Amino acid sequence: MSADTYNLERRQFLRLLGVGAGAATLAGFLPSALADEVAGQASGQAIVKGGTLFANVTPEPAGLVAGINISSPAVVISSSIFDGLVTYDAQFRPQPQLAESWEEAADGKRITFHLRKGVKWHDGTPFTSADVQYSILNVVKKTHPRGASNLAKVTDVQIPDEHTVVFILSGPAPVLWATLFGTETQIVPKHLYEGTNPLTNPWNSKPVGTGAFKFKEWVRGSHVTLERNPDYWDAGKPYLDRIIFKMIPDAGARAVALESGEIQFAANNPVPESEVARLQQNPALQLDTTGWQVPAPMFFFDFNLRRKTFQDLRVRKAFAHAIDRQGLADIVWYGLADVAQSCVPSFQQQFFKPGLPQYDFDPKKAEQLLDEAGYPRGADGVRLRINHVTEVSYGQVYLRAAEYMRQQLKNIGVEMELINLELAAMIRRLFTDYDFDTVSQWYSAYPDPQIGVTRRFWSKNIKPGTPSSNNSGYSNPEMDRIIEGIQEEGDVAKRKLLIDQMQELVQTDVPSVNLLELKFFGFYSSKLQGLRKGPLLFYSSLADAWLEP
Amino acid sequence: MNLPWRSIPLWLGALCLLAIGVAALAAPVLVGSDPLAMVARPYLWPGQNAAHWLGTDMLGRDLWSGLVYGARVSLRIGLEAGVCTALLGLAIGCLAGYFGGWVDNLLMRVTELFQIMPSLIFTLVLVIILGPRVDTLVLGIAATAWPNVARLARGEAQRLAGMEFVQAARVIGMSEARILWVHILPNALMPVLAMLAMLVGHAILTEAALAFLGLSDPNVVSWGSMIGAGRDVLRTAWYMTALPGLAIFFTVAALGLLGGALNDWLNPRRGGLQ
Repeated sequence: MSADTYNLERRQFLRLLGVGAGAATLAGFLPSALADEVAGQASGQAIVKGGTLFANVTPEPAGLVAGINISSPAVVISSSIFDGLVTYDAQFRPQPQLAESWEEAADGKRITFHLRKGVKWHDGTPFTSADVQYSILNVVKKTHPRGASNLAKVTDVQIPDEHTVVFILSGPAPVLWATLFGTETQIVPKHLYEGTNPLTNPWNSKPVGTGAFKFKEWVRGSHVTLERNPDYWDAGKPYLDRIIFKMIPDAGARAVALESGEIQFAANNPVPESEVARLQQNPALQLDTTGWQVPAPMFFFDFNLRRKTFQDLRVRKAFAHAIDRQGLADIVWYGLADVAQSCVPSFQQQFFKPGLPQYDFDPKKAEQLLDEAGYPRGADGVRLRINHVTEVSYGQVYLRAAEYMRQQLKNIGVEMELINLELAAMIRRLFTDYDFDTVSQWYSAYPDPQIGVTRRFWSKNIKPGTPSSNNSGYSNPEMDRIIEGIQEEGDVAKRKLLIDQMQELVQTDVPSVNLLELKFFGFYSSKLQGLRKGPLLFYSSLADAWLEP
Repeated sequence: MNLPWRSIPLWLGALCLLAIGVAALAAPVLVGSDPLAMVARPYLWPGQNAAHWLGTDMLGRDLWSGLVYGARVSLRIGLEAGVCTALLGLAIGCLAGYFGGWVDNLLMRVTELFQIMPSLIFTLVLVIILGPRVDTLVLGIAATAWPNVARLARGEAQRLAGMEFVQAARVIGMSEARILWVHILPNALMPVLAMLAMLVGHAILTEAALAFLGLSDPNVVSWGSMIGAGRDVLRTAWYMTALPGLAIFFTVAALGLLGGALNDWLNPRRGGLQ
């Protein structure tokens, strides 16, 4: 996200909408702004239509409807099949997609969306406000893991006519505007989902959407083929005839496929971090490290605060001082990470608070803190013996990170035994049995702290059995008050103050050591033009994409 | 019983293993106390820096230290898994072969059950469920490798059960357990012992294969774990994989030579025992 403070801009933008209400002017103005951006990337070249784009996602998803299977490979594919109510520009400002325009009531309790007319589902059924109503109330709110909290304040969705949707809110919900893109708040066809369990609906693996590309086939273990949607509402688009997402399970083979041009678009960390520098030198390939800034993965070191040792703030601070986060970013991540200064990513400038207390790499100070806390070195030089859980299937980099931190903690007399677990075993141990001392993991912060950050620290989010909940067991009434304030506060400026307080408290109370802002990356062919660059690049439709001959 | 003193493979294998064994035992003297310490700049190539003559890995850990300490873990896993496999196989094989009948039927069906499962996949599943640690690796490898030993031991036990000295023992009223212990087991042991070197080699290779797939004990360095870590950087720093790969190659080759020589000597079918 660039220097823009999107909230302010959004406010102005919404005011503009509310006051002007001149849908024609706005509809004329906004898409052209978007078009400029896309055209600018193509640097004046004539767009070439047709052709097949070979792409890759890793690993193979369980389903292709992102709102139901939220794994990132599903999201990448789903974004070209389904449009959302809105999409976002490079500054993360909402732009019309299925909704042509919208207005927000002054008290923030009603948002009215005017839907685009003449949009059809891929099976020919007209897209109407009933689809939106059904999707919001019956799918997103009920089955999406973040849906209930994203849409917590949406009490009802009314449909006065076929092309108008009114969200009825219990109060202003600033978080809503960060979640309306198609794969987070997914609009599914009511006529295919009504009366079924969305989680097991067979259409999840042969999706019918409204987007630029139609689903053609999914050969398990091989590929997913999407075909151009000739009836797409954005006339003339998409430019490509076909997208084939190939499944290539081996990272080495993916690197070769990228180099040979066999795949031209690979979204989610397709090669090991150690290979990035080498591939980057290849002029036929482009590296992108900002296209994941909307999910915003944050890597941190958590303590099991049920353990007496970690209830001592001095011990937690000692750990924070013992880990060389810059070394972690440079050596383990090969520079594909920045040191985290807060629980909120620093590129989210509308939320991030600069100048928070930091814990520099200082082993001496760490040792001193442990001495004070009553953990002197024993005869064998060891102060503390603890374990550390790492999940193995996200890639070797997390294993190297754990090994790196183990050696640094050893320097201050902490023996950390590593436990590597597969996803299912990890979820049981970390989120159900709470059988761990420390853990390093990443959560996506998402474009609003209320979605991805507060869940780490809110005591009401200590939910046994729920992955990505508050597993450290942190429970602080002051923190709960702040977090609940963030959820309730409708005024952007006042809410920002609460978000500042949360960041301040996390840095001083150290319930978790914020380590890194990870830069997930993707590669694409230098010939692939018209990508919607920005913080949502890999979660965006490929409607504007085209291949240079 | 004549040891084949002039057998060159035996000597070559034994010397090679002896050297590796001594290096493993003398590791703290040879290379210091912590092979996992990050001691130098990452990605030092072999020969680039005299203090770390085999270079360093992606975190700056000395590869020579890793190889020497890795020998401890790899040999330990190999030996423990090899011995466990042999004992388990021997016990089941002897019981089945000696008693015959429904005992044999039951045990052999169980053996077949294990045999029809692809052994590496089965080991993989066990290690994933139990979590990759040295003891679970040993268990996982032994749990899948024993059927071959059992079948070999069963054949021997069946042959022995019909022999005169065993019948004589039965006639004089020796208990079945005692016959098994003093007559069957020692005699069935020889061919299994000859197999042991191969079993150890197999276990070392299996550990490496599992480690290549990311399933190694993260708290100790083994040759397999070094290969597993080096896999990601194979294109840019192949030496991190090649060096432990060579160590495994020499060890398993030495075990193969030794095993072949022992087989010639110990296996009654080859006539060595007469």
